Amino acid sequence: MTENTTQLVVETHELGKRYGDRIQAVDGLSLNVRRGEVYGFLGPNGAGKTTTLRMLLGLIWPTTGSALVLGAKPGTSRALARLGSLIETPTFYPYLSGRDNLRVLARYARVPESRIATVLADVDLAGRAGDRFRTYSLGMKQRLGIAAALLKDPELLILDEPTNGMDPAGMAEMRPFIRSLGRGDRTVLLSSHLMGEVEQVCDRVGVISQGSLVGEGTVDELRGREGLWLRAEPLGEAQRLLADFRGVEEVERDDDGLRIAAEPAAAVEINRALVEAGIAVSELRPERASLEKVFLELTNAEEEA
Amino acid sequence: MIRIVSAELLLLGKRASTWILLGIWAALALTFAYVVPYVQYTNDPSRASLAELLPESLVGTLMAGFPFFGGVLALMLGVLTIGSEYGWGTLRTLFTQGPGRLQVFGAKLIAIAATLGMFVLVAYALGVVSSLAIAAAEGANVTWPSAWLLFRGLAGGWLIFAAWAALGMLLAILTRGTALATGIGILYAFVIEGLFSALAGEISVLDRLVEFFVRANGYSLVAVLGVSPDDVGDRGPGSFSGPFVGGSQATLVLAAYTAVFVVVAAWLLRRRDVV
Repeated sequence: MTENTTQLVVETHELGKRYGDRIQAVDGLSLNVRRGEVYGFLGPNGAGKTTTLRMLLGLIWPTTGSALVLGAKPGTSRALARLGSLIETPTFYPYLSGRDNLRVLARYARVPESRIATVLADVDLAGRAGDRFRTYSLGMKQRLGIAAALLKDPELLILDEPTNGMDPAGMAEMRPFIRSLGRGDRTVLLSSHLMGEVEQVCDRVGVISQGSLVGEGTVDELRGREGLWLRAEPLGEAQRLLADFRGVEEVERDDDGLRIAAEPAAAVEINRALVEAGIAVSELRPERASLEKVFLELTNAEEEA
Repeated sequence: MIRIVSAELLLLGKRASTWILLGIWAALALTFAYVVPYVQYTNDPSRASLAELLPESLVGTLMAGFPFFGGVLALMLGVLTIGSEYGWGTLRTLFTQGPGRLQVFGAKLIAIAATLGMFVLVAYALGVVSSLAIAAAEGANVTWPSAWLLFRGLAGGWLIFAAWAALGMLLAILTRGTALATGIGILYAFVIEGLFSALAGEISVLDRLVEFFVRANGYSLVAVLGVSPDDVGDRGPGSFSGPFVGGSQATLVLAAYTAVFVVVAAWLLRRRDVV
């Protein structure tokens, strides 16, 4: 580990979880989450995200490797007292009201019950707090789950698919809220399979596929350098010309155009050269790989491997 | 620990099933200990004894129901207290709040122990009121059982409930739910223990085995407290005709069962993944 360990809120080293002989849910995962960042844990369904988060919470025992959460072993009172979590669908007592559910958790977490009104207001659920949990919509259940995660005013917030089941308006509202939770010293570990969510909310992203970390960095780092995208006729001739062009590092076919690894400022010279060579340019624009594309490349490469 | 026990008491107190089970228990205890025998007595005094319905016989009259339907209701309370947590997924919510798994389990145990105490007290309160009402109606003298007998009755009733409730909790943890745990518990109480007890008279080797059954020890304990063996030998699905053991052995065996069920349940809860 190269990072200053005092700044690491979550550290895993070769963490693994195996069920029986056939299912390797998590495989040698080494992950570092730094204090104060919003870390996106991105992966397709079944990649091992929830299993990893459950191991960090001490709900599931790892079969290999080790982990430290807030400097303590996962699942110990020392770690749990300073973290809040929402894993998959929120689970509460259906016969209790939202407020009573939080009252139970506040007593368990040794938190003053005066915090309940604050967190209910934070997630805009105060008006329905007296209603039974079983009458809540999925979005309201999700908001109550986030309220419960905030009860302890935690240093670390672990959120697993927090916008699951929310309508588009609810999701749009929730994202800046999650972003705001990560301000200051608080660290947020957000698991999601929604690229837009991760792109908008996270400082750094780890991509998991088939239980292993296949990529990690800021969104910009993962998306790589900005380049150019060209549509021209004839395309083959344009590709041959640009292959030896000064300032162009790489040219590759991309659907019905070319992806050019070059500074966007080189567009003027490239356009001139193509036109002078008798090649008709119909589109030339700066382009950067979308996170979705990077994600698919990373996860497909892992699956093929 | 006090705050998490209060959280568990809040959970049990606000749950409808707790009050439904208490209502059923109260209704059954009242009906079979006082209402039916008194109706029999008023119809045909030779078929029932008035003395058993008066305050002096309070302990013996009430206790007959504890190892029978009372035990099954306690088993269901034990199953529901922890089995539902698996169904709702709330166990993982509790396990991520801060207290360790054993502390969570300990709080649940204390809360259920207090609830069982309430079940016992409700039965005795109903017994007091009913026996006083019958004594007044029949113009009989009111004399009370000794404080020592009363204490042994309350404690014995609680111990019988505790053994069954602990079995219910263990089954709920083993099966990670309520439905199968309730089914297995009732099957065990009525069919397995019932059949073995019925066969014990014919197959002598079963006699020794039956002496260590929960029901046999429950009935043996109440027999020491004044329940007539004849009274429990003819009670339909809950009937028990022996073998009976001594009061000390019954107390020890029930306490041992409670301890073993609790320890195994705690070990499983601590060791297994919560998904």
